[in-house]
Amino acid sequence: MIMNEFVWFGICFLVLALSLLIRLIGGPSVVDRAIAADAIDILGDMALILFALYSGRSVFLDIALVTAVLGFIGSTIVARYLEGKL
Amino acid sequence: MKKTSVAGVTSTAIVCYLFWLFITGQIVDIFRGKASAQVLIVGAIVAIGAAIFSSRFFIHEKAGFLWNPARLLNLIAYSLVIFPIELVKANVDVAKRALSPKLPVNPGFVKIPSKVKSEYGQAMLADSITLTPGTITMDITEEDGQTNYYIHWIDVASEDPQEAGEAIKGTLEKWVRRIWE
Amino acid sequence: MRIVIDILIVISLFFAFAGTVGIIRMPDEYCRMQSSTNVATLGVVGVIIGGLLYSIIYLGNVNMAVKLAVMGLFYIITNPIAGHAIAKGAYKHGVKACEQTTCDHYGEDMVKE
Repeated sequence: MIMNEFVWFGICFLVLALSLLIRLIGGPSVVDRAIAADAIDILGDMALILFALYSGRSVFLDIALVTAVLGFIGSTIVARYLEGKL
Repeated sequence: MKKTSVAGVTSTAIVCYLFWLFITGQIVDIFRGKASAQVLIVGAIVAIGAAIFSSRFFIHEKAGFLWNPARLLNLIAYSLVIFPIELVKANVDVAKRALSPKLPVNPGFVKIPSKVKSEYGQAMLADSITLTPGTITMDITEEDGQTNYYIHWIDVASEDPQEAGEAIKGTLEKWVRRIWE
Repeated sequence: MRIVIDILIVISLFFAFAGTVGIIRMPDEYCRMQSSTNVATLGVVGVIIGGLLYSIIYLGNVNMAVKLAVMGLFYIITNPIAGHAIAKGAYKHGVKACEQTTCDHYGEDMVKE
């Protein structure tokens, strides 16, 4: 089966995202986990964009946009919690 | 907090409506002449509703402040030429630091002064500093009419406020002042 | 043209890799935050520009290109806000900086007030 090179690039991004799991699970503090979650969100979005380009369907782009918005809101809420205002 | 004015609401609604047209893909359909009326009408209602509640956080006191050829050209030059160059330089630097085996970091929290007066300019400068890897704006304080930025810097070259300011802000501050003043 | 797009995506992949390694290796939270900015700036821009070119030239899908441009703009605008908020929150929460830290003007000025 012949695969487009975009799929391989997407797999590379996903491998990077998976390697960040060691920071997400074993990170010493909450801040580490928030940073790792933010970066995993962005890397997963990149993989989604590449898959959308490969398949030519823009549904995946909508999903990527929604996860980007949710990731931003999530990290801002974590920051407010850390500051003690929540 | 600023007051809600008609001009502010109108310009915020225009920006919101453009955003709606972009993410629903209607902007292409309009040029092809097959836009769906339902989507356009719903978008207009939502844009006006959102603008009434959010225009006082979003728009400048004078709603048409950026609608000035000189400022607009400066803004475009800043965001397409000046800032990307700084961004690439800083990115390569931080990538080298992270990948080199000895991990040469020398972090510290420094305080730098700023001459930008307008609030929007301050926010833009702080965002530009945070977006370049290697520097993060922690806080902005104001004492005796002097604005100070507290910045976490990954490679402290100098602890003196003036020299550190020169090294961090570089040419960015000049351009930000040219846009917002 | 296909080669140019591939090179753009590989550049983006390289910076994402550098940022990931930085997040895992850096000594304290604030330095890790600097590396995560690396992922979110050039790690994103290469894929976005490559995707713009690909979707216009090969797919002929302008809708997709517009959506990609909006996404790129969104990343660039929101990332510094989240980074600034997390850095300030971490300092207020009492996260300690590592031993290599040379100076802490922020902590000194906060104590004074």
